[in-house]
Amino acid sequence: MSAEDPAAAFRIEARELLDQVEQALLDLTHRLDDLTLVDAVFRGLHTLKGSGAMFGFDALAAFTHHIESAFDRVRKGRARATLELVATVLAARDHMRALVEGDAVPREGEAILARLAAAVDGPAAEPVVPTQSAVPMASAAGWHLSFRLPREALVHGINALALLDELRALGDCSLVGRRDTIPPLDQLAERECHVTWDVTLRGDVPRAAIDDVFLFVLDDMELSVAPLARLDPTSTAAEAGAGVDAAGEAGRADADRPAPDTFGARQAARVAQGELVRVPAARLDALMDRVGELVIAQSRLSQLAGDRHDLPLRSVAEEIERLAAELRDTMMLLRMVPVASLFGRFRRLVHDLARETGKAIALETAGESTEIDKSVGERLFDPLVHILRNACDHGLERPDERVALGKAATGTVRLAAHQAGGAAMITISDDGRGVSRARVRAKAEASGLVAPGEVLTDADLLALIFHPGFSTAATVTSLSGRGVGMDVVKREIERLRGTIELVSTEGVGTTITLRIPLTLAIIDGLLVRVGAARYVIPLAAVEECLELSVEEDQRSLGRSLITLRDRLVPFLRLRELFATGGEPDPYQKIVVVSTGRERVGLAVDQIIGSHQTVVKALSPFHRGVGTFSGATILGDGAVALILDVAQLVARGQQAEAMEQAA
Amino acid sequence: MSALSVDAEPSQSSAAIAWSAHGELEVLSFDLGGERFAIEAVLVREIVDPLPETRVPGAPALVDRVVNHRGRIVPVADLRAAFAMVAAPPGAESRLVVVELTLDDETLLLALRADRVHEVVTLAEASSEDAPSVGVRWPRAYVRRLVRWGDDVLVLPNLAAILARALGGAGVSE
Amino acid sequence: MSASILTVDDSASLRMAIRIALTGAGYDVTEACDGADGLAKAAATRFDLIVTDLNMPNMDGLSMIRALREQPAQAGVPIIFLSTESDAEVKAQAKAAGATGWLVKPFEPEQLIRVVQKVLGR
Repeated sequence: MSAEDPAAAFRIEARELLDQVEQALLDLTHRLDDLTLVDAVFRGLHTLKGSGAMFGFDALAAFTHHIESAFDRVRKGRARATLELVATVLAARDHMRALVEGDAVPREGEAILARLAAAVDGPAAEPVVPTQSAVPMASAAGWHLSFRLPREALVHGINALALLDELRALGDCSLVGRRDTIPPLDQLAERECHVTWDVTLRGDVPRAAIDDVFLFVLDDMELSVAPLARLDPTSTAAEAGAGVDAAGEAGRADADRPAPDTFGARQAARVAQGELVRVPAARLDALMDRVGELVIAQSRLSQLAGDRHDLPLRSVAEEIERLAAELRDTMMLLRMVPVASLFGRFRRLVHDLARETGKAIALETAGESTEIDKSVGERLFDPLVHILRNACDHGLERPDERVALGKAATGTVRLAAHQAGGAAMITISDDGRGVSRARVRAKAEASGLVAPGEVLTDADLLALIFHPGFSTAATVTSLSGRGVGMDVVKREIERLRGTIELVSTEGVGTTITLRIPLTLAIIDGLLVRVGAARYVIPLAAVEECLELSVEEDQRSLGRSLITLRDRLVPFLRLRELFATGGEPDPYQKIVVVSTGRERVGLAVDQIIGSHQTVVKALSPFHRGVGTFSGATILGDGAVALILDVAQLVARGQQAEAMEQAA
Repeated sequence: MSALSVDAEPSQSSAAIAWSAHGELEVLSFDLGGERFAIEAVLVREIVDPLPETRVPGAPALVDRVVNHRGRIVPVADLRAAFAMVAAPPGAESRLVVVELTLDDETLLLALRADRVHEVVTLAEASSEDAPSVGVRWPRAYVRRLVRWGDDVLVLPNLAAILARALGGAGVSE
Repeated sequence: MSASILTVDDSASLRMAIRIALTGAGYDVTEACDGADGLAKAAATRFDLIVTDLNMPNMDGLSMIRALREQPAQAGVPIIFLSTESDAEVKAQAKAAGATGWLVKPFEPEQLIRVVQKVLGR
């Protein structure tokens, strides 16, 4: 018994439809006269109503019906689209979403309908009148009928013989096919229907039953029906001749125009690129795990093959290594989604925030096609919402304030994404009032984080914003709570092994930059040896590898800076940092790593080579250690810790700062 | 108040040793640093021979090594560090006891060092008592109960309290 | 031999519901996700019946029906379309395009099976 559930499948589709409707409505707020957008919204509502009723979502169908009617009026030019109407329909869309999920509050629905009625001229919905076809009187004795099917009936798939069988099933039939309506042979087109049938049908058969037989051709055929003998007129049967028309909906004057489906344009573009397949995310995760294990096993194979002088074995091992790498890359791709899906959800948020704060806010986006891992994207949603809320609520000034300052009345929030090395860079910037250093200072002192008179660099001061328990909001607004949570945001970003940076100019604006590794599971690593232990450095962060000359080694003993190609670079000796003990190798190497802005040189005993690294999370006991972001299992079964480049770079900076201060 | 259910995941807190309805507890006992320890048998996943270890620079002494156990990277917990015992080199009978614990809503694997592992035995609540407040050199919070078994006294360690320090003080489920 | 039915709809849930209903009644069901896909599948196999929605991206139902009827190979294949209301104009257009019969949404599985049986004669 399969676990298929059409209602569940409908829920998934409904969510998508509702998102598309929302986007169209948001577009409409900028182009109120755009009828293609109105049409797009109408079509979405129409589909939701029809399919909803199919799968038992009756409340959804009923509610949507009203919204659809309202939009139908706009579509036909009988009402105008206004911002108020669009806002109301957005609220209606939210209610529809709640109806799909099963947690709707009926009172809210009623309130929305009332708003809708006010927003559209005249009655909000046309009354629903069930159709009743006129049912002729039944006859007890039977019928005499004569019929001729439309000429193209056979081509159109009408099974004439099946119709005759249906008639026979109604009662005792005698049938005569008349040939007088058949044209001469030379004019006879094959596949055309020309026979006229005379049928005498005996039995207590309601007229409606006959119409039912010819249901699909009734309008196009020739049919004459006469009762055989009229007995007592009987009242109409309860069988409304509606046949399979079970909906009984109001007959609308206008048809559902088969106009070009602009609503489906985006969908069509996606489908046109090739068939899409839906896969539960959990299955991708499971597949990912298998690939990870395969990579580890393959690495063991390569090592074993390398130890033997068996050429055929070696070449097979190389082949498997290549295939595993390709498989890994394909797996990465499977999980990648464009940030557009993430950014799209924020349009609605900014729209609502603008309304609630009474500010004019424009949301710009760039780099929407930048791709990130699906689960990384999901985990970024809440932090980004928080940052956006802060920008809209506290960052941007009110229109009058902005104009007084010489800025444009409409504030701009910009979301941008691009890839850099092995990471996705996401920036959120606004052209608002920037971070007030004085306020941060005051708040920090009030919270006891900073002693009065303590000297802080600007960077240190801004870093306090990410400290737990910190708030710069002058007032507590219901919108973003206490205007804080930046510490929570930072923690979540760090859990994703990313970094967050804040840059701000007072009076001009603020930019927050997130740097998130593209994938968490398998990375290209550089395997190095320090003493007897081996470590992995993420290759994406490696800038270059150099020899540490004996002179330079001597010169930089005890120092935190080293000269590399005539430049001074912060420098860490991993042997010291890891308390390895023993004597270093005579010819050490320096691996220069960077986070994109800062760099540090790491001294190691040996650079072993590149290594496909399946990243395993550190046990909670080791998360606090700081210098490691994970661990991996090498080909020979040994464990190698993965260096956390950002932390090491920060340490390098600290050491350099201390040295320079001394 | 002792918990009554036998199959519940026993919390490691001192208050909740999951004695059965008859006042019994199945434990695995092992020697370490001259003492005999006992932990609930339900926690034990496997007992393995010593594995190659990798040091984690910067980690607390209690958990500063990891091993590769069936493809999983498992930290090694040396209880001797908690009980101020001298760390002797491993002997022929040394083993690693792989246990599964739930701390702070997270399920963790841990490999406990053992100089020698004994069989699973059934302890009686009636033969147990709290650790004395004087006369022992261990932090009292680290021991849940002492239980007599034949001529020996077994120590039921409070793994949650011991490990909490390594977790930075967070993650103790009481 | 079971009759083979092609169901064309861009809604996966609707396709699923139709497939479950019809396979339960003993028919073989193939799915297509839009008009273009429907045309392609019909070209590859001659089906005993086609059930199609009208509102689809990438070629709507009416266009697909018209295109099918232009092919001599598809002559006589019954085509049922799904409509969302008992709208005379839609029906007229669909029939003019070459549809055989219709079914109004929402419908019960039994109604779908009845229409299919009626049109197929089995």
